[in-house]
Amino acid sequence: MSDMSELSEPSTITRVVVSILYPFILMLGFYIIINGHYTPGGGFQGGATLASVFIARYVVFPVEDIRDETVHGWERLFLALIVLGPILLLFTGFVNDHPEYQIAYLTLMDILIGLQVGLGLSVVVFRFAFFRGVGKSWR
Amino acid sequence: MRYIALAFVSLFLFIVVTAVTVRHDERLDPVLYEYVTANFRDDTSARNGVAAVLLNYRMYDTLLEALILLTAIIGMLQFLPGYHGDDGIDDTGDRDGGGNE
Repeated sequence: MSDMSELSEPSTITRVVVSILYPFILMLGFYIIINGHYTPGGGFQGGATLASVFIARYVVFPVEDIRDETVHGWERLFLALIVLGPILLLFTGFVNDHPEYQIAYLTLMDILIGLQVGLGLSVVVFRFAFFRGVGKSWR
Repeated sequence: MRYIALAFVSLFLFIVVTAVTVRHDERLDPVLYEYVTANFRDDTSARNGVAAVLLNYRMYDTLLEALILLTAIIGMLQFLPGYHGDDGIDDTGDRDGGGNE
């Protein structure tokens, strides 16, 4: 994009530190999501942590190569799965009748909620980060 | 004049809410609280009570929370113009991915 040249280059310190922190943010996010039923945390908190990966990526590498329609489509797919999961597993009484599947159910729902929230917050971040001013493009 | 009226309305609401929350003397038995804290481990096999409530006892709450997030994102995508293209008006048309210049 032409506007990229007007942005100042990110400093080397920022780039290196964020590059080091990148896998740890991912690991912390998935840890919070997967251990949601053992420790404080869960899908929403872990999803917000996963969304911060995209924020860090935008800080050091401000290139518009992610289409927010694609991310939004994945988010809607995960929302459909979030709705389908309890309808098929919980409201029919399957999980409460079979206690051996309860841990799997909780983990599945935490992962789905985490991915949905992470992708949704990523859409918000991308849309606001790539927003091009008010005067020329506001309808 | 509007600000004075707004200040009076805010003060009135503050007094009403404070009076209602401080002066009420209804006491409910903590039936549900005691049941959930005593039985969530056996009912849902989760060791975190919040996860047990959010994912089993009150699943509708979680569903509608996720739906609220989707609604907020749809509204934001509707009212913020797109970023591909120079005019920014037609943001549904030729989107070639960008980022390759």
